[in-house]
Amino acid sequence: MGRSLLWVLGLLVLAALLSAPSWTAEQPYVLHMLVLMCIFAIPAVGLNLMLGYSGLVSLGHMGFAGLGAYTAAVLMVDARWSFWSALGAATIASGLAGVCIGLICFRFRGHFFMIVTLAFGLLLHAVMNNWDEVTRGAAGFAGIPRPRPLQWGDEVISFGPLPHFYYLALGLALLAFAVQYLVVRSDLGRILSAIRQDERLARSRGVDVLLYKTVVFALGSALAGVGGVLQVSFLRVAAPASFNMLESINTVLIVIVGGAGSLMGPALGALLYVGLPEWLRLANEWRLVIFGGLLVLITLFAPAGLAGLLSSLWRRLSPPRGGSS
Amino acid sequence: MSILQVSGLAKAYGGIRALEEVSFDIAGPGIYGLIGPNGAGKTTLFDAVAGTVKPDSGRVMLQGQDVTGWPSHRMARAGISRTFQECRVLAEESCLDNVLFAAQPKGLGASVRQLITRASGHRRHLREEAMRLLSMVRLQDYAHQPAALLSFGQRRLLEIVSTFISSPEVFLLDEPASGVNPALLVVLADFISAMYAERPRVFLVVEHNMEFIMSLAQDIIVMHQGRVLERGTPAQVQASPAVMEAYLG
Repeated sequence: MGRSLLWVLGLLVLAALLSAPSWTAEQPYVLHMLVLMCIFAIPAVGLNLMLGYSGLVSLGHMGFAGLGAYTAAVLMVDARWSFWSALGAATIASGLAGVCIGLICFRFRGHFFMIVTLAFGLLLHAVMNNWDEVTRGAAGFAGIPRPRPLQWGDEVISFGPLPHFYYLALGLALLAFAVQYLVVRSDLGRILSAIRQDERLARSRGVDVLLYKTVVFALGSALAGVGGVLQVSFLRVAAPASFNMLESINTVLIVIVGGAGSLMGPALGALLYVGLPEWLRLANEWRLVIFGGLLVLITLFAPAGLAGLLSSLWRRLSPPRGGSS
Repeated sequence: MSILQVSGLAKAYGGIRALEEVSFDIAGPGIYGLIGPNGAGKTTLFDAVAGTVKPDSGRVMLQGQDVTGWPSHRMARAGISRTFQECRVLAEESCLDNVLFAAQPKGLGASVRQLITRASGHRRHLREEAMRLLSMVRLQDYAHQPAALLSFGQRRLLEIVSTFISSPEVFLLDEPASGVNPALLVVLADFISAMYAERPRVFLVVEHNMEFIMSLAQDIIVMHQGRVLERGTPAQVQASPAVMEAYLG
């Protein structure tokens, strides 16, 4: 019974998200925020697969989002590619960069691994910030187009209006969550979880740990790339500051505050990250302060994050079930 | 053709020579004991055979194939399954999932195929087998509980049971009796004997509990200071002056 109720709740949330353009018609600003949530949630899903499920804490995650974003920007503006081809190419580029950089980072463990990912994040940011000929440097890469209108019979869907772009962002976010669900609830997910719990044991059971770590790093980086492309297409400008160390740490915070290793964690984290400062009407600078404070509280009282809090609340409220789970 | 053949295996950690020219031959199925005083090199030998450490020299042959220096995941896929002295289980997973994890295919191709097809037809049979194994060590009531809730002795049994489901050719059990209470020790000995009777394979057991190993194994290899000191039946080994000397100094 508990499970079917959960499905109903999930479908209600989905219905609310799908009908958002109509219930936010009076306040398009809310829709704008929902788009931003999707933009933050997609890289967070990628990091959740790495950090939450596989135990790989990367502090340079948004560097890969930037790599995807700038790849798409160059392809769309300089090479006149369509959004869709640029999105595909940028996703592959971020994934491949994940493979190459991951293989170097995996030579290190624990804290050293984190420091090396941080260094690569800084390196990617430095390239975006300084390679003026290609990335337009610190001034940012302006003039990035929204996707060209899609023709469906007589129907023309343009992505210029906010509600249409919202559906694109929502679609990509749902796709990211679907990928996460498929991975987590599969043999691959069980292998990743075993690597996080006990690498030596996983190895002795036949798991090629380096191979699987590389795969999840590539997948996480590719998802970061998707988020990056979506962001710059929405804002129509790519700025190095969107992909710096601070943003990488914010993504780690989104994952941990939302609930690392939980399917809905990135969504809850992104909701809080985008929503809370707006709701409290605070300046952007306060966001880090609030999230830092929340992180302390969550580490102390709810190590499983918001998702963990919600699920324990759910268990308390739903009637006990007979038999084993 | 021998099932497991170790020849001239050597491994040094800095100035400490953990293994010096260890050679032995395991021709056929059986329960073999590997004993020796602390620091004799038993665990290093296990690590070298299981691929956890790379030997400096020497060879490990598995069913005629040279597997020297293979990484442990390759060793596991080739048919060498091991347990650890410190006992390793997936603490967050249920007991049943611990056993099923040991059985699931570990190749990337197979994992990606399963991701797409979601095929789990073979799981039913595996679940039944996993439950049978768990009930043999009296863990059936804990099947759906996380392994973290088990006592140390029960975790030890779970770890051992998990190595059996993938049907390897060689089992390396590193001190299976340590930390296990006397009641569970009987369960453990019965389990190993029953598994051997079901399908005779090679069980190589490192153990300090002499009573346990002498009643379980038919063939005992004694190590001392990184070498094989003696080999024989439990009675022969117990009567050997060299073994007495090694243990008592």
